[in-house]
Amino acid sequence: MRGAPHPRREGDGELPASLPRRLPRPRWLLPAILVLGLAAFFWPARELRSDNFIFYFPSGHHTLPLVSIGNNPYLPLVQILNMVGKVGGIQEKKNSLKIYFGSTQISLRPNDAKVFVEETSYDLSQPVHLLEGQWMVPVDFLTIVLPHLTHQAVEYQEGTNRIFIGDVKPASFSVRLDPIANGARLTVQFTDKVAVRTASSNGKWVMFLGDRPMEPMESSYRFQNAYVSGLQYDDQDGVPKLILSPTSVGLNFYPVQAEGGKILLADVLKPPSPSTQALPPQPTPQPEPTSPLPTTEGTIPQVTEESPAAPPGPPLPIVALDAGHGGADNGGHSRDGWLEKNLVAQYVARVDSALLATAKYRVVLCRGGDTNVSAEQRALVANLSGAICFLSFHAGDLGTALPRITIFTYQPPTVAAPPAGDVPAPIFVPWGQVQEARLGQSLQLAIDLQQQFSALNGVEVDLPATAPVRTLRSVNAPAVAIELGRLAPDEDATALTNPAFQQQVAAAVVQALAVFAKGGTSP
Amino acid sequence: MTLRGKIFLAFLLIALGAGGFYLRSLAKRVFLEPTPRAEEAARSQLSQFALQPNNGTTQLATLYFPALNEGKIIAETRPVTWAQADTDRVRQIVLALAEGSHQGYGRVLPASTTVRAVFLAPDGTAYIDLSNDIVSDFTPGIQSETLAIYSMVNSITSNIPSVKRVKFLIQGQEVETLDGHADLTAAFSPDPTRIKGQ
Repeated sequence: MRGAPHPRREGDGELPASLPRRLPRPRWLLPAILVLGLAAFFWPARELRSDNFIFYFPSGHHTLPLVSIGNNPYLPLVQILNMVGKVGGIQEKKNSLKIYFGSTQISLRPNDAKVFVEETSYDLSQPVHLLEGQWMVPVDFLTIVLPHLTHQAVEYQEGTNRIFIGDVKPASFSVRLDPIANGARLTVQFTDKVAVRTASSNGKWVMFLGDRPMEPMESSYRFQNAYVSGLQYDDQDGVPKLILSPTSVGLNFYPVQAEGGKILLADVLKPPSPSTQALPPQPTPQPEPTSPLPTTEGTIPQVTEESPAAPPGPPLPIVALDAGHGGADNGGHSRDGWLEKNLVAQYVARVDSALLATAKYRVVLCRGGDTNVSAEQRALVANLSGAICFLSFHAGDLGTALPRITIFTYQPPTVAAPPAGDVPAPIFVPWGQVQEARLGQSLQLAIDLQQQFSALNGVEVDLPATAPVRTLRSVNAPAVAIELGRLAPDEDATALTNPAFQQQVAAAVVQALAVFAKGGTSP
Repeated sequence: MTLRGKIFLAFLLIALGAGGFYLRSLAKRVFLEPTPRAEEAARSQLSQFALQPNNGTTQLATLYFPALNEGKIIAETRPVTWAQADTDRVRQIVLALAEGSHQGYGRVLPASTTVRAVFLAPDGTAYIDLSNDIVSDFTPGIQSETLAIYSMVNSITSNIPSVKRVKFLIQGQEVETLDGHADLTAAFSPDPTRIKGQ
């Protein structure tokens, strides 16, 4: 019976000599384990991960291990300096370090954010650390101090693991994904010609982008698509590449390059069913010759050498569509739970389809998927693509009328003083003031949109207004923000989520762009 | 080890684990986080001081409140006993706006918004550091954010001539936007065209 004590028999207390005896545990073992466990629990994390940081120079690239100290990225100082020049000597004491870099003396102390270059001090965002004998500096050392040492241009985008030193002109690219019959088409538009080679690895497709340094606007893209789940830019080994993740195995991948290598088109297609496999492929008109991409032989079981289903379109004017917010930034919300980021994404998708259906425009999306894209990145997408106009969609509280539309052009927060005398126009325009030179065109675009929206039934449309909209500030094209109302916590978004209304808005945008392209209507 | 010993050890480990978690949160509160209560108390004292009818002159102040339907801001006058210093007057205006309109106009700021600090630079730029309650209880939007900003800027500059521009900080930090739309990276000049009837 379970739990019933066994009757004690004679000899039970003594073990036979042949059986192994349990060793007595020291009394201090348990407390020691507990103390060590608690110490490990409270010990602050110092070194959490190790990635590479890539230094691009005109002559090539180098990588350095990136060390995370207290969740901040750090790099080894001496190795940085050896990479960009020659360290003449090091004078290391217990609490200080002096480095002779060419004719310049650099002084620093552990746990101190100040770095002295000769007599000038520079404040880093984080203190210098001495880690296992290596002097580690936070990554902003590269932008704060390094330019004063090398006297070379340094280009670094905060948050990334790459830096461009000297006369390096990195290329960039924009990405879009379109649904096509039985698949999806990925379009990567590069700012310059890129020789792409493809390979397959771990169920993903890798597109090597040659030796040209790249500065991506976004490192990763997530797609809400049945065939492609994401695209990742990676250059951790110094080799720029794009990694495309399909949603399932067994899909075919047809990459081609167009426009002399400035566009990469990659079709991800479901394999034809056995009944249709015997049919010959349907030829499609090809206005421009395209070239299938070279592949790494024997490594790509899923990549076929066929031509893509459709060729790239002719060079058409580009419209930049921006769905406001995204990712962790939800924007506003309605009583029935609609988030601004999702609502405006619907409008952008409809306008995108309506514009493409005309075959008169190409569209670049400033936000692909549910990602949080900064205002600078959105402007960069529009500016790099050479868009003829930029439309940013938002939804908010526009008062009691529903639905209501207001179109905003940019208004600088500060009224600039008029220039004294005949001051010639500056050659370079600050990035933050780019839109100010386009305000006239933006107003024309706003007027054209307002007139087309006014023709819609049951919609209250305001006269074009101005506002200090952050997203418009750096766009080098006619740019407007279209705010749809009313999206507020005390109101359902039913009127704005109506597909018929969304389609009307999209059609009105297409009409307005047609009018705008012809010079616009008079106000 | 006996069964009783094992049970005791299990209880001891659970108690130590719970204690560890409690200590961790306690340590965080004590060493890492500022003392919000003391800070809040000091600020509330400052705000009360700014709103107290002291020995200053009582005048009609013009405050602007948003009218979302018109896309404009509307003037409302209210007697205010001014503080001596301009920075306190700025605080008085912002707190009066947070209190809300007496004539039923729209709300500029959530009532919970507090003014953490006000600085007045020699060039006439007033730096107003608002608590992040302004964001948590705000309905975001281009129109709503723009009108809220110009309600504050026009109210402050029209009542305090030494203030020419207003720069907003939130929780002591410079922020990109008020709540995702309006650019807060630069100081704002007053915009009379925003006022209804002008």
